[in-house]
Amino acid sequence: MTVEEIFAVLEERYGATREKQDKWGVTAVVSASYLHNAVQFLKEESGIKFDMLVDIVGIDYLTYPNHEGPRFAVAYAFKSMKNPGARIRLKVLVSEENLNVPTITDFYANANWYEREVFDQFGIVFKGHPDLRRLLNHVEFVGHPLRKDYPAQKRQWLSTNDYLLPQLEQRLEELGYKVVQRSKEVETNDNEFLEGSIKE
Amino acid sequence: MIVLDPNGEKLNLMPLNVGPSHPATHGCLRFLAAMDGETIVASVEEIGYLHRGFEKMVERGTWQQVVPYTDRLNYCSAIMNNIAFCRTVENMFGVEIPERTKVLRVIVNELSRINDHFVCVAAAFQDLGGTTPFMYAFNPREEIMCIWEKLTGARLTNSFARIGGLSRDSYEGFEQDVLAALNSTEKALKDLHACLDRNRIFLDRTVGIGKISAEKAISYGWTGPCLRASGVASDLRKDEPYYDYETYDWEVVVGTQGDCNDRLQVRLAEIEESVKIVRQALKRLAPGPVDIVDPRIRVPAHKLAYQDMEGLIGRFKSVYEGIRVPEGEYYCGSECANGELGFTIVSDGFGHPYRIKVRPPCLTQFAAFHELVEGGLLADSMAVLSGLNIIAGELDR
Repeated sequence: MTVEEIFAVLEERYGATREKQDKWGVTAVVSASYLHNAVQFLKEESGIKFDMLVDIVGIDYLTYPNHEGPRFAVAYAFKSMKNPGARIRLKVLVSEENLNVPTITDFYANANWYEREVFDQFGIVFKGHPDLRRLLNHVEFVGHPLRKDYPAQKRQWLSTNDYLLPQLEQRLEELGYKVVQRSKEVETNDNEFLEGSIKE
Repeated sequence: MIVLDPNGEKLNLMPLNVGPSHPATHGCLRFLAAMDGETIVASVEEIGYLHRGFEKMVERGTWQQVVPYTDRLNYCSAIMNNIAFCRTVENMFGVEIPERTKVLRVIVNELSRINDHFVCVAAAFQDLGGTTPFMYAFNPREEIMCIWEKLTGARLTNSFARIGGLSRDSYEGFEQDVLAALNSTEKALKDLHACLDRNRIFLDRTVGIGKISAEKAISYGWTGPCLRASGVASDLRKDEPYYDYETYDWEVVVGTQGDCNDRLQVRLAEIEESVKIVRQALKRLAPGPVDIVDPRIRVPAHKLAYQDMEGLIGRFKSVYEGIRVPEGEYYCGSECANGELGFTIVSDGFGHPYRIKVRPPCLTQFAAFHELVEGGLLADSMAVLSGLNIIAGELDR
């Protein structure tokens, strides 16, 4: 099975269309509702098993010349370990009104951080993500910096780092532990936690 | 915090914050660990302390101005990053770079890889308390650094590649310098192996520590030496060859255990392979042009700008307006020292990049960090961290 044949299956089953902008490889545009199935097909059913998620990229088309269609896009790049050299990309168009995209963290472990990054930089919400927080920017940061309407020179006062204790508890629960008594510090609510930071 | 473990036994855990500013956390990484005595029960990481907004910055300049920014990604092998970026853009143009440039790029690529691996192994040893191997590894590294100095004028964040060529040709005596560096690299490798291979303390600290299975590593998107240490023979230089890597005689190094020791040993063995590649490349290095002749891609040489009107126009336009990369969307990955460094480029056909996304190899490796350290000792987490070779510059961008 070649990548072209896989695209034909995606086209038939999930209504994928060919991204004409990608003149160098194969990029299939699927609707958000089919994304989960399409990824499952790529990873588990297709002849070439695309078992590695290489990257998730957010794109904002706000200032793109003569752009038609939704403002945002999320592009997924996959590659296959069993068939070295086989690559395919999926793309989901996301409108400003509905920023939801289903998560694929149930297929790939690294989708967790990639999706957090796209959420952080573009504000796209991945439905079903276990812990959708900012990844690179500060917890106090306001806005989404890689959107085209975010001014590059804008400065923000940021003074505190991630709290992480709730995440640590979450991780313990994942490992089968049960938290009986929380740390004293964890019971402060978020507002109090951010109170010490410098605000304008 | 008090927790019940999976067997229902009561445990009193202490949350312990490590980093972001800790000598052993290489740059600024932070993790919060729930400790049961000396054992890490659970851990969560936070990154972003070195986030400089690479992807936002590059959108404001021209395509050529991206190149120096890429040096700041993995600063242990800076030239490798800008070669990876230039290759991506050149592929979008669909141009073939001159033969001499290809060979020179292979040489500096592999020298950077040697450099990067030496830093990783040396720092790993240093973190475990061994200072001597650090010095053994840094001697040849220093020689390569001197080559960088002569070649580019800078030691750390040096940029050598340009879109459609190189910033300049190699200097006189380059081959001799490289050969000398290779010889001392081989000597240092012998010394390092003498320190490492049968060192009881080192083996106790690294064998079986931070193990990861091949399946899990793939699921986490690991690439490069860390993935190969888990037994997966995946190397873009063989899988999707570029710059004629397939015509050189070398082997993909593969580990068996996927533990901390394997990750370091794979790196040392890769240095050997890189030395082999560079020796062969030096023989292929024939005189010739290094830049492609096309003012729409590579800025014409100074000489042309003073003598030729076309050259002057080309130089002027290329500096003021920037080159115009064909419209489209493209992903291209290159095998860098830490794994697959990928650039996703969206171009609108004008002089500024519309969107450049970096796929740093470190990110996926650090995302799995908690899986590696949970159940181990706190002291082992430092051995794991240095074996992964997390470079904060490319992790946080």
